Amino acid sequence: MENIKKLILNTVASAVIEEKQKLTVTVAWDKLHLLAKTLRDNAALPFDVLVYLIGMDRGEELGVNYLLSSSTDLSKELVLKTGTTDRENPLLYSVTDLFETAHFNEREVYALLGIRFINNPDMRKFFLNADWNGFPLRKDYDANPELNPLSLESVDMIDIAPRVMEVDGKLVEETVNIFGDDDYIINIGPQHPSTHGVMHFRTALDGEIVKKIDVHSGYIHRGIEKLSEALTYPQILHFTDRLDYLSANINRHGLCLCVEKASEIEVPERAQYIRTIMDELNRMDSHLLAWACQTNDLGATTAFIYGMREREIILDIFDKTCGGRLIINQNVIGGVMFDIYPDFQKDVKSFIIYMREKLKEYDRFFSHNVIALGRMIGIGNLSKEDAISYAVTGPAGRASGWSNDLRKHTPYALYDKVDFKEVIRTEGDSYARYMNRLDEIEESLHIIEQLIDNIPEGDICAKVKPIIRIPEGEYYQGIEAAKGIFGVFIESRGDKFPYRLKFRSPSMALVSVMPLICKNEKVSDFIGIGGSMDYVIPDIDR
Amino acid sequence: MDSVSKYFSGLFTGIFSLLKGMSVTWKELWTPKVTQQYPENRDTLVISDRFRAELTMPHDENNEHACTACGICQMNCPNGTIVVTSQIIETEDGKKKKILDTHQWDLGMCTFCNLCVITCPSDAIKFENTFENAVFTRSKLVQKLNNEGSSLREKKKEVKPVEPKPVVEAKPVVEAPVTEAKPVVEKKVTEEVKPEEPKAEKE
Amino acid sequence: MILNYSQPLEITNLTGWLDSALRSSMSEFWVLLIEFVLVGALLLTAYAVIALILIYAERKITAFFQARYGPNRVGKWGLLQSVADMIKILLKEIVKINRSDRFLFFAAPFFMIAASMMTFGAIPFGKGLHAVDFNIGVLYVTAVSSLGIIGVLLAGWSSNNKYSMIGAMRSGAQFVSYELSAGFALMTIVVLAGTMQFSTMIEGQRFCWNIFNGHISSVIAFVIYLISGHAETNRGPFDLPEAESELTAGYHTEYSGLQFGFYYLAEYLNMFIIASIATTVFLGGFLPIQVQGWDAFNGIMSFIPTYVWFFGKTAVLIFLSLWVRWSFPRLRIDQLLNLEWKYLLPINLINIVLMVILVLTGLTLKDIFGIM
Repeated sequence: MENIKKLILNTVASAVIEEKQKLTVTVAWDKLHLLAKTLRDNAALPFDVLVYLIGMDRGEELGVNYLLSSSTDLSKELVLKTGTTDRENPLLYSVTDLFETAHFNEREVYALLGIRFINNPDMRKFFLNADWNGFPLRKDYDANPELNPLSLESVDMIDIAPRVMEVDGKLVEETVNIFGDDDYIINIGPQHPSTHGVMHFRTALDGEIVKKIDVHSGYIHRGIEKLSEALTYPQILHFTDRLDYLSANINRHGLCLCVEKASEIEVPERAQYIRTIMDELNRMDSHLLAWACQTNDLGATTAFIYGMREREIILDIFDKTCGGRLIINQNVIGGVMFDIYPDFQKDVKSFIIYMREKLKEYDRFFSHNVIALGRMIGIGNLSKEDAISYAVTGPAGRASGWSNDLRKHTPYALYDKVDFKEVIRTEGDSYARYMNRLDEIEESLHIIEQLIDNIPEGDICAKVKPIIRIPEGEYYQGIEAAKGIFGVFIESRGDKFPYRLKFRSPSMALVSVMPLICKNEKVSDFIGIGGSMDYVIPDIDR
Repeated sequence: MDSVSKYFSGLFTGIFSLLKGMSVTWKELWTPKVTQQYPENRDTLVISDRFRAELTMPHDENNEHACTACGICQMNCPNGTIVVTSQIIETEDGKKKKILDTHQWDLGMCTFCNLCVITCPSDAIKFENTFENAVFTRSKLVQKLNNEGSSLREKKKEVKPVEPKPVVEAKPVVEAPVTEAKPVVEKKVTEEVKPEEPKAEKE
Repeated sequence: MILNYSQPLEITNLTGWLDSALRSSMSEFWVLLIEFVLVGALLLTAYAVIALILIYAERKITAFFQARYGPNRVGKWGLLQSVADMIKILLKEIVKINRSDRFLFFAAPFFMIAASMMTFGAIPFGKGLHAVDFNIGVLYVTAVSSLGIIGVLLAGWSSNNKYSMIGAMRSGAQFVSYELSAGFALMTIVVLAGTMQFSTMIEGQRFCWNIFNGHISSVIAFVIYLISGHAETNRGPFDLPEAESELTAGYHTEYSGLQFGFYYLAEYLNMFIIASIATTVFLGGFLPIQVQGWDAFNGIMSFIPTYVWFFGKTAVLIFLSLWVRWSFPRLRIDQLLNLEWKYLLPINLINIVLMVILVLTGLTLKDIFGIM
């Protein structure tokens, strides 16, 4: 990392480098793009993954934090910070040309904090309507409902995007049409059986061929990040279950880890075992549902129900352990809330045997079916470069040949003690993503097998102060959720509430890549690709 | 000839894969189904003990509960589901004492996060697995947990450990009686919390 | 005649008795009129009843394929479920769509139901249970059943809905392609049987069904007919025009109430029609299993009424269709057209030539073993 520091100072002499939880570099707003580009193109250790992009209201100034990481080694992380004191018309430079994933994130920052990004090709508000008054995540936001009354009128979609471009050193405000005049546009969503939630794809079709997709999101945006700023950390925990509800327990684990690391709480070993086992059960639960939904998207209704049938057994185990099925509230700061029940080991072990058998059945039933193969092989190709640029993680990213399993790169809980393979395929098509999930179920079974008989006796939760205060600073914890890297960012000012809390959702990256990989595919494949990406909408609409 | 052999091998492997798929559904056709026949099986239905369906306040045979009306559950609830109202009465020996008036819980707003139960210092409330809570009007979802005419259980004997509590043994009590619902955002009351033993436990 | 054994339960006895009773008391004209009306009413009733039974059967069988119980609340084992659904559909409002072509929108379901109704009339259900026996029966059935596509195309066009439009266009492409295969498969058997009339075709199959008679060639034609028939009825894995996970409901997205009911009914009846034509053409129709020379066995088999044989054979084919439908994912439009134009049609053309050779060189089973 010393080389990196040198490189940073050579590129931008005025950069301020601090050693915090992560190496933090603060630069002026006009130097950021240059620095990010240099870091990305650094051959020895390229910082080519934009893990998160967080807009912040730092009080005086409005700013953005970027967490860069290296696609070859995700444990190498680096925070870039920049900001502007102009609160009336804040402008920063976009990094969309360097990291495609920044596109949607910058639009989100614009909607919630009002920062516009120069050179972002499409500066519409993400999540919010164009006519929303105020910027919710600013500290001086007026939440008076009269400012934004509930409208019951039907409003036509406007496919014109404003943007700020830099032409010959001058800033030009302009608008651009998303679609052509003669495009046959069809609304897939927000109410559609195969968008897996209230997602809205404006799709331009040429016969059966998809020409262009425009993603509209925010139909169930709940403002969890804003709500969290008024809640204590144990209270915020229950929001994590409501992001990606299919990997509810893993998300919760992520927030717990972040708080535990920040306030230096030691988690007892028994709790670690329970957490790891529950995480893997949850991962299988999510993958089974993903498998089921993907087959359903391809028209195989029967396979859908088979997936649900197996998932039910996991849910029963959750139910008996934690009293919840989907949202299980198992993790708390310092450990877990419920100890395992007496028959837990027996149930899990019989599930392992059962699931192995069913995996073979899935193979016979669907994985080699000639129709299914035709619907998946070579469809929705995502190259490794694009996967990295769009920060597509999880089984989908690994199907493109990018090793990004945080359980391997930055092990947490017990993942450094167990033996498991990171499932990587290089084809990058729907079938690779499909097979990755089935193989990961197998790996999860393998992990559980190693742990289930060795759960040590002891406490299930550390002694934690009734009121948890995190020391001042910025904290980030990434965790391998079922759909990819789920991250929790907390900026604390020493209070028992977070000053700013942000969840990095894997699904947002998965959706942002949809317009790219669905271009020139058939409309039925668009649905199939959506199934293979396996995004969950509440995860995007935080 | 390569394309011809490819044509036929593709045809036959394709047909074979389809038949293999059909064998799976054929097997399932004769497999006994496991779907629960609710409500016919209500008598034999097993709901796990830990299932969180309804918040309750256990009362003993003397119609006594363990709630000291400290209001910690109300403070910990993330979305204002619980409203504890209390009143100050004077006991026979002249001491001032806070007793529970109503403990009100709104099932319609509850997210079943269990925070109220694990933070309760006197184990006065717990979740039950009675899951048939459907009603026709929303107002019926707002429930009063303490029975009519119930009173606080006097701790004469040992404090009965209900269950080994996993988390925080939090025993702070709000000094001022919490008498009205506070909106979620104004939960800064916790700032002024002073740790103090609940009065009931002193005796 | 086809059956020499008398069968007390055979419907022919009843119809014959009714006919002679009417003729003895009325003039020819009135007898015919009354019989026409009776036959028409019976066919319509059968149409509705068969659809209801099929809907129930499909839901129940599907459920068992899918690890479920299926309908089990209305009546014993849910037997009255489809009746309840029918009442619901009759009571539902027929929604009028803004900016749709009202007349065509209203007319489209009738095309669909009329086409399947007309085909339904030409099916021999049993001995003497055959409303119209054309001498070009096979041709008539193929021609009339392909009218249904007009209903689908009109529905998609007149709904003023983009999903419906795509669904209808897909359906058009699919129907035109697969009609070809279905037609050729039937022609193969016409070559073998030497007739287009259903009644003579059935008579010829008394001791040797067409599917055995033409052995290799017949079996290929049978499989192709089932596949393309399945595709013609727009049922999975060929349900692209509906494709509920892509096009919500395809061409009938905007239909409600009875109009949707028509499409629903026609879909199930088309499935039945395809199965019954396959039964008639390939599996000896309503004839019982008969083996030449085994007179005692033949006698026992003939004791079962012919309509039971017919519905039994049809039910087996319908079960096969359900089994296929609920096992496979949906094809994509190019896979669908590939299957037809690259596999089914060439095989079919070769097959028809093969059949001609078999018939001309006397290599059919009947010729080889001298079966009547």
